Amino acid sequence: MGCLLFPFLTLASDPICIRDQAGKPIPHAYVKIGPDKVVPVDSTGSFELPDNLEDDQLIEVFAMGFDARQILVREISELSSLLLTEKIGQMGEVVVAATRTDRSVEDLPMPVTVISRKQIQETGGMRLSEVLREQTGLQVVSDHGSGLQMQGLSSDYILILLDGEPLIGRTAGTFDLDRISVTNIERIEVLRGPSSAIYGSEAMAGVINIITKSNGQPFAASLESRFRSFSTMDLSGEASFNQNDWSVQAYLNRFRTDGFDLNPDVPGNTQAPFQATTGQVKLGKKSGKWEFRIYSRMYREDSENVLQINENGTGRLADLSSERRDLNLNPTVTYRPNEHWQLTLRSMTSVFETHSLTEMQEDDFVVDAQDFQQRYHRTEFQLDRQLENNQLLTLGMGHLLETVDATRYEDLNRFDAGYLYLQHQWDPTDRWNIVTGVRGDLHSQYGERISPKISWMYKFSEKFSWQASLGAGFKAPDFRQLLLNFNNASAGYYVFGANMVQEGIERLQSQGLVQQLLLDPSQFGALQAESSLAINTGFRWKLSNDLLLQGNFFQNNISNLIETAPFARLTSGQNAFSYFNVSRVRTRGIELDWTWRLTSHLQVSAGYMYLDANDLDVLEQIDSGELFRRDSENRTQRVSRSDYGGLFNRSRHSGNLKISYQEPVSGINLALRAIHRGTFGFGDVNGNLILDDPSEYAQAMTSWNLSLSKTLSNGLLLETGGFNLLNQLNQYEPSNPGRTLFVGAKVPFHQLVNSK
Amino acid sequence: MNKWNTFQAGILLLALSTSCEENTVEEPEIELQAVTVENLHAPGDLMDRSTGEITEVRPFRYFSLEDNQMVEDREGDWDIGFKGTTIIVNSGSSGSGTAQASVVTGTFDEITSVPATADFKSDREDGMAIPTGSGNGWYNYNSSSHIVSPIPGRVLLIRTNEGNHAKVEILSYYQDNPPLSEVDPMTTPSPYFTFRYLIQPDGTINF
Repeated sequence: MGCLLFPFLTLASDPICIRDQAGKPIPHAYVKIGPDKVVPVDSTGSFELPDNLEDDQLIEVFAMGFDARQILVREISELSSLLLTEKIGQMGEVVVAATRTDRSVEDLPMPVTVISRKQIQETGGMRLSEVLREQTGLQVVSDHGSGLQMQGLSSDYILILLDGEPLIGRTAGTFDLDRISVTNIERIEVLRGPSSAIYGSEAMAGVINIITKSNGQPFAASLESRFRSFSTMDLSGEASFNQNDWSVQAYLNRFRTDGFDLNPDVPGNTQAPFQATTGQVKLGKKSGKWEFRIYSRMYREDSENVLQINENGTGRLADLSSERRDLNLNPTVTYRPNEHWQLTLRSMTSVFETHSLTEMQEDDFVVDAQDFQQRYHRTEFQLDRQLENNQLLTLGMGHLLETVDATRYEDLNRFDAGYLYLQHQWDPTDRWNIVTGVRGDLHSQYGERISPKISWMYKFSEKFSWQASLGAGFKAPDFRQLLLNFNNASAGYYVFGANMVQEGIERLQSQGLVQQLLLDPSQFGALQAESSLAINTGFRWKLSNDLLLQGNFFQNNISNLIETAPFARLTSGQNAFSYFNVSRVRTRGIELDWTWRLTSHLQVSAGYMYLDANDLDVLEQIDSGELFRRDSENRTQRVSRSDYGGLFNRSRHSGNLKISYQEPVSGINLALRAIHRGTFGFGDVNGNLILDDPSEYAQAMTSWNLSLSKTLSNGLLLETGGFNLLNQLNQYEPSNPGRTLFVGAKVPFHQLVNSK
Repeated sequence: MNKWNTFQAGILLLALSTSCEENTVEEPEIELQAVTVENLHAPGDLMDRSTGEITEVRPFRYFSLEDNQMVEDREGDWDIGFKGTTIIVNSGSSGSGTAQASVVTGTFDEITSVPATADFKSDREDGMAIPTGSGNGWYNYNSSSHIVSPIPGRVLLIRTNEGNHAKVEILSYYQDNPPLSEVDPMTTPSPYFTFRYLIQPDGTINF
């Protein structure tokens, strides 16, 4: 509360406090008088004007994240506080993920959006999937968990970072966003387009960087809870402490839900009941030019479900229990000898485990037991060198060690990789900037890869800038594609990962099971990384301080996609399969975002994405007349291009409309959002394995979500609201339970104590 | 049990006189018509699902394209046979006849003659004329929905024991030829083959 003024003292040098629209002091502002005189602003956001200023002298006030303000000495001397307006559309936010250095959104030559704490709060969500699904161009798709889809590419191709470090643990390629609780997230950076030039594998469609809270106050503690339909409860506590350059931040979250059931006729829930606990401890110490940090996080989840197993026509019930464990440790040391150099050494150690057990209810017979354990260790050194004042050079190198041990894989498998990345950020003039980067990966499994990227931006004016970015992305073969050793006894087929094919085929041959090899054995096992080339180009158009239009066109051309294909015909008539680089896909589209601040209390925004995602081999087959379909009497017809609907699970049209309103009298905040997902193909029905029939589409739906919240003067926050208020259901979206209502409260203890 | 009926027979011979190749002036019009065979029930072997071991071997169901009827046993004059997802021809390892098959791509109606590229084969221990396994021969098996669907655009060309040519399109693996969108692999009875075929009885390769 440093900005408390003493109104009875009216000296010429009264301190002036710089505040945001909500009245909170802005401590990081700076004030310029004339061309080069800078006035210091203290940590409470206050500054004092020097004496003997002329009345018509111009003062400029800047603060990161806010529109700059110009004011005359004559006007300012009558004020006790000076209000700044936040830059619209999070344009002023600093982004780390895009360049691995701090850079504000409006200066980045690539498409980036930032989801702020306020927006996260307004969604009323508990898990990360509920926040991300409301963003333009992002879809959450149910496939072995809640997976993200970006630019038409699935979760496999999106890198998820926690405070800049990669999170591991995927099931069938999907990173389950429900593993991440949102109450300790400060902001989320969404970086679109490939970033393999700094991150390597997986950063093909884009990167999500989750930045957790770091509280600068000497002491803070709060408790936050939300309750909602389906007996879902989310309880979080956090405490932080800052003194003598030490900082400690602790967070604990407990989540539970009964799940829900969209098909009551079938035993078991659509979403299983589960409980999850998340803990995080962040420790930091600054000491002169050194900074030390240790971040750690643990996650534990247990779920139970029932399923029916059909055997010879009779259904028997079985209990399915599963657990997931996740542990990360991330120490970082930063040394800043002077303003031109910064050296960072960091490492990330993670363990991800899953265990699942299926037992018959009547006799505890174990139908299936699966264990999976992945260990990941990365050490990385990064050097940032400021050249003159308009160039920043970044050099990084690292080593990666990964092991995996699982029921379906033989032995303990180990992978090693080394990498080197180089990035140059250059602002030749105020109008231009260029970021170039290249990364080389050397991997024990798939050899070497070079991933370049170049991005540039031109500011036609303060209001309008154009950006373009060309980059290469890649994704290494995953464990399943390399290591799987699977035999479906009842159907009689085999699936071998690329590393297991040679051994597998020899075994089958020695057993006399192989009838015919379908591929040249020299091709076995040579699995390459999937690779992409992409362009992203678009604009930021600030029509006024309160009106922003952003657009981005993208095209991703992906080749060497890995799919299963038969490599041997067995005497049983069935096949043995393995993984091969066989297919090519192209996704392209446009993302548009419109943000309009009508008054300081009312903001409206709208987003839209058009997406066209095709399998290029299918298009080729259609053009050469080799693709067929069946009519309602199962007779064959030829497929034409106009019949083809592209890849499954992609909506051609999607969009959102958001209204955020602060009622001035009651102080109630209202956030109303309509999230639309256009019709999409759910799967093949007519037998030709592609999307080409009206019966293969799921209906479009719009989810209306509303949150109401009120912050009392002592800091207590109360909220209520609901998701999917019109209760729209879609059997092809099993993560949508229908209408969900919630209430919540946040109790900031430190403020309650202070205000007494 | 074996409920099956056929749309009989429309081979209309407008002229009974057989014509030789040179006689082009007064060539008689022969209008061939496709025959649809419905619900040919051909259950596969019984298997212990946990071990993959076959517990009961069931017989093939044999069919004569020439006569448009079932044939009781393996020694009879059948052309093709069905069991589960496997379709055999009467030759080589499957039977004592001379029937052969070739799998070609196209729509049933477009195939107006046996293409020169058609490669007629007999069944052999190391490879069936109509390859087995999903995606290889006549069907796809979707491992997530568990539906067996005839591959659109696959036509089976059969050379019968008598040396005539027929084209065959498998329409469905499920009872009463339902549209695939209505198939529930757990409840819709299978395997009940529905197929249509057209045979050229004059020994030429044109349909």
